Formats: sequence, structure tokens, C-alpha cells
Amino acid sequence: MKVLCDRAALVDALNVVGSVVPNRTPTPVLRCLKLSTADGLLMLAATDLEVALKMGVEQVEIEQTGEALVPADKITQIVRACDDQTLTLEMEDHTMHIRGADAHFKIFGFDPSEFPPVVDFDDATIDCEIAAGVLQSLIGLTLFAAASEHSRYAINGVLFDRNKRNLRLIATDGRRLAMAKGECLVGEDTTSCIIPSKALKLITKLLDDPEATVRIAVEDNRIRLSVGEGADAAVLSSSLVEGAFPPFEDVIPSDHDKKVTFDTTTLSSAIRRAALLTNEESKGVRLHFENDSLTLSSRAPEMGEATVEVKLDDYQGEPLEIGFNPGFITDALNVVNSEKITMELKAPNKPGVLRTDKDFTYVIMPVNLQ
Amino acid sequence: MVVMDEPRTILHVDMDAFFASIEQRDLPELKGKPVLVGGKGPLAVVAAASYEARKFGCRSAQPMAIALRKCPEAVVAKPRMSRYSEVSQQIFCILDDFSPLVEPLSIDEAFVDVTGTERILGSPRQIAQKIRKRIFNETGLTASVGVAPNKFLAKLASDMDKPDGLTIIEREGIPQAIAGLAISRMWGVGPVTEKKLLGMGVKTFGDLQSLPIDELIKQFGSLGAKLHHLSHGDDSRCVTPEQSVKSISQEVTFDEDISDAEKVRDVLLKQVEKVSVRLRKAQLHARTITIKIRYGDFQTITRSMTLNEPSDQTDRLWREAKNLFDKWANSNFKPVRLIGMGVSQPSSPGGLSEQMGLFSKPENERSKRLDATTDAIRNKFGLNAIHRGTS
Repeated sequence: MKVLCDRAALVDALNVVGSVVPNRTPTPVLRCLKLSTADGLLMLAATDLEVALKMGVEQVEIEQTGEALVPADKITQIVRACDDQTLTLEMEDHTMHIRGADAHFKIFGFDPSEFPPVVDFDDATIDCEIAAGVLQSLIGLTLFAAASEHSRYAINGVLFDRNKRNLRLIATDGRRLAMAKGECLVGEDTTSCIIPSKALKLITKLLDDPEATVRIAVEDNRIRLSVGEGADAAVLSSSLVEGAFPPFEDVIPSDHDKKVTFDTTTLSSAIRRAALLTNEESKGVRLHFENDSLTLSSRAPEMGEATVEVKLDDYQGEPLEIGFNPGFITDALNVVNSEKITMELKAPNKPGVLRTDKDFTYVIMPVNLQ
Repeated sequence: MVVMDEPRTILHVDMDAFFASIEQRDLPELKGKPVLVGGKGPLAVVAAASYEARKFGCRSAQPMAIALRKCPEAVVAKPRMSRYSEVSQQIFCILDDFSPLVEPLSIDEAFVDVTGTERILGSPRQIAQKIRKRIFNETGLTASVGVAPNKFLAKLASDMDKPDGLTIIEREGIPQAIAGLAISRMWGVGPVTEKKLLGMGVKTFGDLQSLPIDELIKQFGSLGAKLHHLSHGDDSRCVTPEQSVKSISQEVTFDEDISDAEKVRDVLLKQVEKVSVRLRKAQLHARTITIKIRYGDFQTITRSMTLNEPSDQTDRLWREAKNLFDKWANSNFKPVRLIGMGVSQPSSPGGLSEQMGLFSKPENERSKRLDATTDAIRNKFGLNAIHRGTS
């Protein structure tokens, strides 16, 4: 194999594919990237056996076709560190030579046939198609709420729930829940599966062109996504999270009797400031709603206290005092793309709901303040 | 006389020449030879001397140069503290099986309160023998044990028949039994007090017993009363398990590499149970969970995770420990020589705010009730009375 590459394009691709490579694995070939040539493209592939990713680099000239399997960290470091416009990658047996204008690197690799097969998309039965921009937005609005821990429910991933062209993504860590709705370009029947967080994080890196079409295939315990057209489409394959997602629809309240609309930035600023005087022991911020004002207060023992006032234009309902983990609120405010946000409440021990419009719903369980 | 509470049975377990014995065990060519553990520099001090070296007058805390003058043929071993603390942990794990009341005094000695366990574990003598036997079987090291009604006497007793000894001080006739001991052996008697006592003609515990308490208080203040009680063998201090807990852990070294992941996982579950019992006893919740795996070639790996909400529930800790283990076992399993599990970053539960859960309530309550029930059973019948099964 001998390929002349545009260095900048190669760095971008290495950054994305390299993030699949497991940090710690005793299997040396899994620490590698597989390079191959196909249809005038340089293909890069990596897997940690749960997630596999393959993508092509167009800005290359292939002088000789072939394959290579080389340690991901070394090739990435070298390509990043060089400042040449172009680099030549050439294989000699399992050794890769990387040549720039004034440098020559040799990296010892492995036999490419030792690499686990990376799934293609060619044989996929397409479940649905969605615009990259829409998928990007749905992931952004939900992924942050997924659990990093394990519970009896499968919540360390995001629920992909599709009915015809209506797609919902739902994520929860057992204390708050985010749900975002969007529309597919093509979709029949229904599909429901739980996608691991790592796979979703990777997918977002492939969605930089919002107009691109994402094709999704779901079968047995795997999901496959292809982004872009033809041979240079990036293909990601991931195992699905096994187990049952909790009965999320039961915990989205619809019986609120208090409602208020905030400027997103106003609420965000007030919460951030009140959160400054919380700590591990008292991580709740108290929200006191009364007539036309909201008073946020916090208290950290042996540290101090904070009070922040917010004027309300349209608070509807009886006065209420309720505590929330401020981080849960700012998490949502950070990702919503809306100037206004509505908060619905019922009682100090009942969940609160944040909504931007019909398409984003965020449920937060309160903190019991003493 | 101090007020006598119900009679107690306290053990003082003291490892024999701990560091030196570990060196002799790990390097068989040192067996039977005088071994000094310590550095070799001009300022080095002996950290431990094997019994063979003690015959020459070597002892711990002696400058190494002097010890080597007394015993030039002694082998000097560089201290390996991490190894010693590993063995120490192993020994404390054994002690934990006998009583929840284990008070470490140092890396190689501890008090164990076994009051009231006679029905399950046997007579104090049998318990002491069982402990000595398990320590020997599992570590190849010998321990001397003193059994007595209180801490002071137990510590005196463990020293009476060292090494590899067992001494029991019975409840009856204690003042007579200890009357002949030199006053330097008494707790709280340093060189200054000793000199003062010798000046008063007090050489032994017996001499001290015959002095009226008022006289002692006049001479020594509050220490005087203490000396009086101790000379009669009275000591009401309790055995208090570790005061401020930074981490709690358990580990087991197998005799051979275990290639059955299920078997290792079962051991891990028992460790999680023990650790969570200790957490609950200390009324702490842990935030970080770590598992430790060592292969036959001594390569050691650890995997850890941090909980959003600190917990003391066996189920909660097991779920994460199991997940860490399975993740490792499914991808990289190699035969295991040592498995360990620990928690760190403990905090007192509650605080000022409690996060409510969206789904978790019933499960949490069930899990808490289960823990409370099994803890009660263990309190009554011992740590090994009940275990979870893996499914």
C-alpha cells in the first residue's frame, strides 16, 4: 500500500476513528487502526468489539492499493505533529513508513488479517432515514441525561423509540429524564432499542453536515448507521444495551398546577449563582415561587449562603417552595436552543418539568430539603 | 476497684517478627538465617529482626550498624512496605471473620473483642487457636496471641510466650499472676516515670499493688490512679474498630491461579458483602468502588467507578463491582491469583438534602430492609452466618 494524503484531512479522520480505540486493552490489535484502500479512498477503521467505526478520507492519491494495521496512538501523534501539507504512507510488510518533506517514520504494525472484521452497511435492511442535523439535535438534547451507573434498568444508554416517521430519544439516570422528538425522512412501523452512550457520542462526531442523510439499520442486538453517500459514507456499528428501559411515560407528569416561563439565560444565570454555595452535603438549591418573584437560595454548612431574586412575569399558581439539584437544571439549559423555557410544578415532592416546546421535555425529581 | 461490667474476652494478636518473617517466607533461602529488615545507609535503623538475629542481641529500632556488629552474618533485607501492608490486610481480613470489633494497633497487631461468641466459635482458647491456625495456613506466618479479660492484660499475655505462643490470663487471681512483672512493662510507664517509681522502691507490679491509691495520686496525679488500676490488672477501655475510615477493602490471595471466572466472582461477592457490612457498621456511605485483580505473574490491575449518590447498600455496591469485574472478564480474562474489592471516599449519609428518584423507591427500600435483616443475623451468628447467592 502506498498513499499520498492531505495531512489536515487525515488528522480529522484519525481524531474521530481514534476515539473508538479502547484506552486499556491487553489485545494489541485492538489498539490499532486498520487502513485500507477502496475506490480511490483511504479507509480507516477501529473497534473495541462493542463499537466499530469505519470512515473514508477522500483527499488522497492512491499509488498502490493494500492494507495496514498500525498502533492508533503512534500514527495519530505523528500525523498531528508534522506540519507538511501532505504525507506519504507506505507499507513494507507490516511496517508503515510515513514520509514528510524532512522526516521519515517507521512504525511496526501487525498482520491486517488479525483485525476483527468491521461491519459494512452494504447488506443492511434500512429501518429509517433521518437528516443528520435532526439526529444531532435529538442526541444533544438527551445524551447528557443518560446514566453512567448501572441499575436494574437499562439506562446507561439512550432509548431510540420510533413510530413511523416520529422519532423520540429518551435518556434518564433515575433522577431526571430528557426526551426529545424529531421527524425521520423515511420510516415505517415501529422500532425501539437502547443505544449505548459511547456509540452516540461517536455518532455526533460524524454528523457535521446537517444536510447529510443518516441511514439506520437495527437488527438483533446491533445497530448500524451510515452517514453520507456512496463509498465514502462513514459506517458505525454498535451493540445495543440489553435489558428493559424503565416505564418512562409513567413518570412524565401531566397534572401540574403551577407554571412559569423564563428567559433561558436569566434562569441559567440565577441557578449558576445560587449553586456557588452548595456542596456535597447540601447540593440542593431552594426555589421559592411567590406571585411575581422567584427567590433562589442555597446554604453550604461552614461555607456560607446565597440568595438570588428573579422577577416573574407570568407565574400561575399557589406559592411553592421546592429544592432541585442545580446541576440538573443547568445541564438542560446548556443544551436547549431556545430563548424561553417553561417550568411546570406541582408540589415539593413531585417532579418538575422543563419544556421548550412540544419537542423537548425534561423531568427532574426534586431534592428533599431539610 | 473500677466498676466491673460483664466479663469480656479480649484477644491481642501480635505477629512474630512480622517484616522479617515475610522476607523469610518469600525468599526460602533466608529461612533459619538471621535476617534484619532495614536500609543499609549509615543512619539506617533495624525495622525488624528475625528470631535468629535476636539471639545475637539484634532488635528493632537499633541502628543497623550496631546490629550488624552484633551479628555480622545477618542478611539485610530492604523493607517492602507495600508487600507488608498487603499481608497485613490479609490478616485483618481473617480477624474480621471472628469479630466485628477489631482494633488495629499497628500493621501487625490488633485487639479483637470476642466476648459472647463462645457459643458459635468455642472457648477463648479454641478461638485463639483457630485464629493462629488460619493465619498460619493462609499466610505461612506465626502469630502470638494473648487472651485476657481486658486489653492491657491481653497485650501483656501475647508477649509472654513469643514467638508462636498462646497465653491465657484467667479471670481469677489476676493480681497475683502479674505481680512479678517489671513496672517498665506497664502501659504509660516511660523512662521518667520508671525512674521515679524505682526511686520509691517500686520494681514490680506487686510493689505497686501494695501502695495505697491515694499515695500514687499524690505522687503522679491522674496517672497515679491509672497505675493503681493497671497494677491490679484492671482496664475498662473498649476495643474500638478503626476511628476515621478512609477506605474499606477486602482481598484474597489464592493458593493457585484461578481460571474459573465464576469462582472468582463468587469470592468478589463475599468481599462486597463484608465491605458493605463494615460500611453500615461505621454508618458511612461510599462513593468510589474499586476492584483489584492480580495475575500469577504479579501484574496487578485495578478498575474503579464513582457513584452519583454514595451508598452503603450491598446490592448497589455489588451491581457496580460485578459490572467492573464482568467488563474485565468478558474482554481480558486471565487466571487470577488475587481478587480484592474496596470502597473509598466515604461520607456520612443524609447531609442536608436528599435527591429523590424517579423510579427507584421500592427497590431501594427492599434492598435496605434486606441489608438490615442480614446484618442482624450476622451480628447474632457471625459474619459467615449468611451469604448472598449468585444467580
